[in-house]
Amino acid sequence: MADVQRIDLLDPAEVARFGGIEIVAQGVVEGFLSGIHRSPFRGFSVEFTEHRAYQPGDELRYLDWKILARADRLFVKQFEQETNLRAMILVDASRSMAWRGAPTRLTKRAYADRLAAALALILLRQRDATGLITFDEVVREVVPARVKAGQWARLVRGLVDTPDGRGTAAQAALVRLTSLLSRRGLVVLVSDLLFDRELALTALRYLRHRGHQVIVLHLMDPAEADLSGPPEVRYRDPESAASVVVRPRELARAYQATVRREVDAWRTACRRHGIAYHHILTDMPFGMALRLLA
Amino acid sequence: MTFLHPLALVGLAAAAIPAFLHLLERRVPPEAEFPPLRYLSEAERQSARRLKLRHLLLLILRTALIVLIVLAAARPLVPAQASGGSLHEPTAVAVILDNSVSSGLVVDGRPALERLKAMARGSLARATASDRLWLVLADGVARAGTPEALLATVDSAGVSARRLDLTAAVREATRLVEGEPLPAREVLVVSDLQRTAFGPGRAAVLRGVRVLALAPPSRAPANRGVGVARVSDDAAVVGIVGTPGTGGEGGVAPVTLRIHGREIGHALAAPGSTASITLPRLGPGWWVGEAVLDADELRADDRRFLVWRVAAPAGVAALPSTGGGPFVAAALAVLEEAQRVRRGTEVAIGDRPEAGTLVSVVVPPAEPALIGQANRALAARGGRWRFASAGTPGPIAGAAVPAIAGLQVTRRYRIEAATGDAGRGTGNDTTVLATVNGEPWLVRDGRVLLLGSRLDTAWTVLPAAPAFVPFVDALVNRLARGEAPVSEVEGAPRVEFRTRGADTIGAIVFGLDPRESDLTPASPALVHEVLGADVLDDAAFAAARFAGAGRRDGSGLLLVLALLIALGELGVATRTR
Repeated sequence: MADVQRIDLLDPAEVARFGGIEIVAQGVVEGFLSGIHRSPFRGFSVEFTEHRAYQPGDELRYLDWKILARADRLFVKQFEQETNLRAMILVDASRSMAWRGAPTRLTKRAYADRLAAALALILLRQRDATGLITFDEVVREVVPARVKAGQWARLVRGLVDTPDGRGTAAQAALVRLTSLLSRRGLVVLVSDLLFDRELALTALRYLRHRGHQVIVLHLMDPAEADLSGPPEVRYRDPESAASVVVRPRELARAYQATVRREVDAWRTACRRHGIAYHHILTDMPFGMALRLLA
Repeated sequence: MTFLHPLALVGLAAAAIPAFLHLLERRVPPEAEFPPLRYLSEAERQSARRLKLRHLLLLILRTALIVLIVLAAARPLVPAQASGGSLHEPTAVAVILDNSVSSGLVVDGRPALERLKAMARGSLARATASDRLWLVLADGVARAGTPEALLATVDSAGVSARRLDLTAAVREATRLVEGEPLPAREVLVVSDLQRTAFGPGRAAVLRGVRVLALAPPSRAPANRGVGVARVSDDAAVVGIVGTPGTGGEGGVAPVTLRIHGREIGHALAAPGSTASITLPRLGPGWWVGEAVLDADELRADDRRFLVWRVAAPAGVAALPSTGGGPFVAAALAVLEEAQRVRRGTEVAIGDRPEAGTLVSVVVPPAEPALIGQANRALAARGGRWRFASAGTPGPIAGAAVPAIAGLQVTRRYRIEAATGDAGRGTGNDTTVLATVNGEPWLVRDGRVLLLGSRLDTAWTVLPAAPAFVPFVDALVNRLARGEAPVSEVEGAPRVEFRTRGADTIGAIVFGLDPRESDLTPASPALVHEVLGADVLDDAAFAAARFAGAGRRDGSGLLLVLALLIALGELGVATRTR
């Protein structure tokens, strides 16, 4: 029951009522970090810093066997990551991200902002240089990866200052991103992926080819996963003039299957190219979403 | 297929509702944003064929559902084995319930009318609100009404004293049902089908009208009845009628004559014969008698009234010199000898009204020159009729003197009213009793009887005819006194007297039609030939009435089908989502 009180495990919409992005992200990170016993992210190299007493749950590979042999006491070795990890968080700010299926839920964009802020805070606490790029049809905000003080605040401001976009021709923006990420590092793409899969994968493959570790967080509102609505409705794409009249009840099953196929297709394609892929519904607690990344 | 409520078929227009709603729904769907439209389009593209089939199937099922419900509401009739619970198409039905005298026959302790009423009741009870019904009883009146009203009439119907002419009744019933614009038309004859109940001619059943007749008992019931009872020459003549072959030893039956409840005499007679019972000497006045047979299964015809008047002989003064003539004198002599008349001044026969007499029978004077004198004398007596010019020869006609009807008149004077109305009487006391060539020949004008011809063979053949003496008898005893003959009328047995002032001037004897006593049933061939009817026994009659083949309400079946379709629609609408 104690876990339920952790802010990172609460409903995202409820958590959002606690305050702005900073407060929410800090709360989520505090809760998240208190629930794990090791660093979720490991850099390319680590350096020993100190010993501490073993606690149940610690990985056995960090046990100091020599001390155990000499003193018959359990100590684990603690390491400090190098600061040369460069993480860049890419947040999709297109028009489709500003949608939510129910007033009680966060929009995909709001969810992405808070998740990105929390992720950035975790990375910065590990002294990883963390940057941010927001984009829709074009790249909107670019916050270079730094580890200096005040970086998180800049990242948050970058998120806040990025308005909801109009279009979603993100392929061009992704190509542009590849040129901004000259030094290899960690790239986290937070998007609803409502754009051409092949073109997007081309850009992501290029990043992998450049030596980046790529993580794709596929955000989806629960209402996008399961079709529902009035007996007959004209659905309009917010990013284009396209519309279609459907009867949600009779199309729900086929739609569900289509969504499932689409997610599977993304997952398979990403796996094939060494890209980590996670499907996240916007009613998933932030802590659980972060856990996916650990 | 026919329907009990065809107006409900208007609801078939509602079958267009599903298609209409489909179109209406498509026209103004609500609009909403939905980012993953590409997924929707893909899902719809993949399901398009299935959805189109599903929509078509749902449209068909829903339309069929409405059509079935509307058809069920119209209550279609489908062929079925006839039974008590079956329905029928709207039918115009005339039920002829023959409750005539013969239906009072007691068979196995029950009146035959009960069987007939039960069949009529069964026919009417099967009628529905869509049918048009008539009930014809022995009075020949066709009563239209609801099944309930006609059932009540049947229940209250008793044995009538009237005879029903089945031929005329079927003819009238056919005319009634033929005029109804309904799919079926029937005439149901519920009768004992007496052979004598068939009137002249044929019923001329029109095409499209079914006539069904209930079969009579196979064996002709025995019966005897009093067919006629009259008084003639101081004797009561009683005619016996009945079913031929009825009777035990020789077929004779004892007949009893009663006067005021007292038995006067007895006789034996067989059906088709007459018996004569001598009357005792009775005082002047009107007498009512009753001819009675021993009781048998048909009681109604076992007695009949008879009425006669015993009058003192009229006192007649015949004046040969002034018009009586030798023939009149001879006739009066015969009547006097028979004590039918006596010499007196009560009635005078001459060529002018005689003062001091009660009634004058005036014949035209032999000399044409004296016509004016005779007319003045008539006018002086207050007469309103007079002799006019000579008329043309011709036969005598007149209901008041049937015995002389047809006898030729060769010479006559026309009798015309002084007021100019020659064709009919001009007052309460004036009656034209006989005519020649349509012109008055024998006229009663108050206390004067005018004859258009002298009672002489030079004027008419009447004096040489056998009917002359009875005519003179009637002239002086009945016509001069203003008495009407006793008439016989069909009706419940009773006697009614006609009066003028304080005087009784005639009587009507009501009795049953003697043809009702012959209970011989008509053969099926005769029934078919005359009435155009099929003769059926009780069971066949019950099964064949109301369009013969039984029909059942098919709405239940349609509702079951509608329920199945509704379940199918529910399955398609839910499981294929």
